[in-house]
Amino acid sequence: KITYFQSILSYNGGCVVAMKGKNCVAIASDLRFGVQLQTIATDFERVFEVGPNLYIGLPGLVTDTQTVAQKLQYRTKMYEMREGRQVRPQTLMAMVQNLLYERRFGPYFVEPVIAGIDPSTNEPFICAFDLIGCASTPGDFCVAGTCEENLFGMCETLWREDLEPEDLFEVISQSLVNAFDRDASSGWGAVVHIIEPHQVTTRRLKCRQD
Amino acid sequence: MSLECLIGIKFKDFVIMATDMSCLQSIMVHKGDADKMQKLSSHLLMAVSGESGDTTQFSEYIEKNVQLYKMRNGYELPPSAAVHFTRNTLATHLRSREPYMVNLLLGGYDPDQQTAELYYMDYLAASIPVNYYAFGYGGWFTLSVMDREYRPDMSEEEAYGLLVKCTAEIKRRFLANLPKFRVRCVNKDGIKDMKNIVADGEPA
Amino acid sequence: MFQANTQIGDYLVDEHGRKIKLHFDHGTTTLGFKFQGGTILVADSRATSGQYIGSGNVRKIIPITPSLLGTMAGGAADCTYWERVLAKQCKIYQLRNRVHISVAAASKLLANMVYQYKGYGLSMGVMIAGYDKKGPGLYYVDNDGSRMPGNLFSIGSGSIYAYGVVDSGYRWDMTDEEAHDLGRRAVYHATHRDGASGGIVRVYHIKEDGWTIISEDDCTDLHWRYQDEKMASSSQ
Repeated sequence: KITYFQSILSYNGGCVVAMKGKNCVAIASDLRFGVQLQTIATDFERVFEVGPNLYIGLPGLVTDTQTVAQKLQYRTKMYEMREGRQVRPQTLMAMVQNLLYERRFGPYFVEPVIAGIDPSTNEPFICAFDLIGCASTPGDFCVAGTCEENLFGMCETLWREDLEPEDLFEVISQSLVNAFDRDASSGWGAVVHIIEPHQVTTRRLKCRQD
Repeated sequence: MSLECLIGIKFKDFVIMATDMSCLQSIMVHKGDADKMQKLSSHLLMAVSGESGDTTQFSEYIEKNVQLYKMRNGYELPPSAAVHFTRNTLATHLRSREPYMVNLLLGGYDPDQQTAELYYMDYLAASIPVNYYAFGYGGWFTLSVMDREYRPDMSEEEAYGLLVKCTAEIKRRFLANLPKFRVRCVNKDGIKDMKNIVADGEPA
Repeated sequence: MFQANTQIGDYLVDEHGRKIKLHFDHGTTTLGFKFQGGTILVADSRATSGQYIGSGNVRKIIPITPSLLGTMAGGAADCTYWERVLAKQCKIYQLRNRVHISVAAASKLLANMVYQYKGYGLSMGVMIAGYDKKGPGLYYVDNDGSRMPGNLFSIGSGSIYAYGVVDSGYRWDMTDEEAHDLGRRAVYHATHRDGASGGIVRVYHIKEDGWTIISEDDCTDLHWRYQDEKMASSSQ
């Protein structure tokens, strides 16, 4: 795993976590946009909707969060028009890998996390990348961002197999909030998406404001 | 460079912007009546700070392209679209050999949506809508003043009063000499000049 | 083989001979001001090392004597140690001379102690506040050895935000309640904007008869309270 300059990836702050449940997945992120220690906005969403059951979180340098989100939107929309169907999570993973590796020697400073449900099989899917597009597809959860270590600790402790949607919401929310409450550069609010085959529930969490 | 100060505040139906009028170079004040704001279209104003040279080159490039769009299509880009174009230009240049080192505040009024808009954009081309922000070291001192006093339903006079409080704090706490601020307001009728602020803060 | 060797007054060095930057807890907001009714000290309670929040309920205002308080900013260990030494010195002074030490003398003791270690890498920016024969006292002392009296100081990474609020609200003739609220608000605004400040906002008041803790509020509770007040005033 390549950790470029720690300072670039943590310049704006922010973190994302994705988790698998029983026939559902969840993705959550904080809402802070800052420049180093200065908090500038507390309503910045770094998780983007790609399809009806497919989300991508892009923690890292915010300029690249925005650039990558826009480029991905272009590519997925072109794919949808060309193929006449929705992008599958596996396909999005390949797209992100290609997009990131195109900048192998001058990377986008983002570590994307995908969460979605395959529309044909209804299989939950999560995956995470490093900043030049090496994907990993763990069976439990993916974390990325400034409080990655904290998130690993929380997720390892709280995650269980076959979580129902309501329990998954509780587990991912507690993991995220308690992880970033120990991090100076993320937090200030959170958004959680619970993705089930036929519905997505989005909730905002009331969080510490310091 | 970040000795310069840009302030922008968004209210329900107008945006007010203030920029300092000093051109500073090393230990000297070059000019005391500078205008650091660029009019992009009838309802969009861009305040620019950063590396001298880059500021004028970049703001004029954006302005000319926004104007060109109007000539080609017969209507103006709405503020949100013009901001998107600005971000895209800045982000593309960021990964070139000569990036523009400019921080921007874009204040506009969308006549179709009837909304006031204010965007933050730093030299890395991270762009977000905000209610208020101030660039430069001056911003560090004034952000908490705005946090404390800001209400979205303030009138134009109250907004001007808030700017006076901000500039007074800069005069009081900041070591650079930024005595005067140019003030403009963007609302449904377009962009209008307001009275310059001469900061009146007592040194602490 | 990792072998860190250190010289007094120098940096730590890693196995390649590169300097390891000592990591100090710089993120803080402390505020102190004098007014008609005495001296107010306010501080947050967050301790950070790098991005990581080590603790959320630190006491950054330290009692030195029943009428003297000190604040912490910079290296936590440096501040606690030297203010503990100062407390000892103040007690000895009182036993020897049968009078309480003045704020000026106490702050000078501290300034002289840290000045001896100038250049050795101490990191502290503290306020010494108290009440003596001359009335309320407030001194700023830092690791350079500089020491100055004043009516209003704020120290730490959040100080700029705190100054913004205090400067526009400060008056000498404030009532006690106004002064407590001003200090609390100033540090709350700093905790909101500054990533390295947060936790609990503690307000202390020093009067003729010694210091008292006025309030200890979680800054998130303050955030929602102040926001409700703003909404209420806005809708009128």
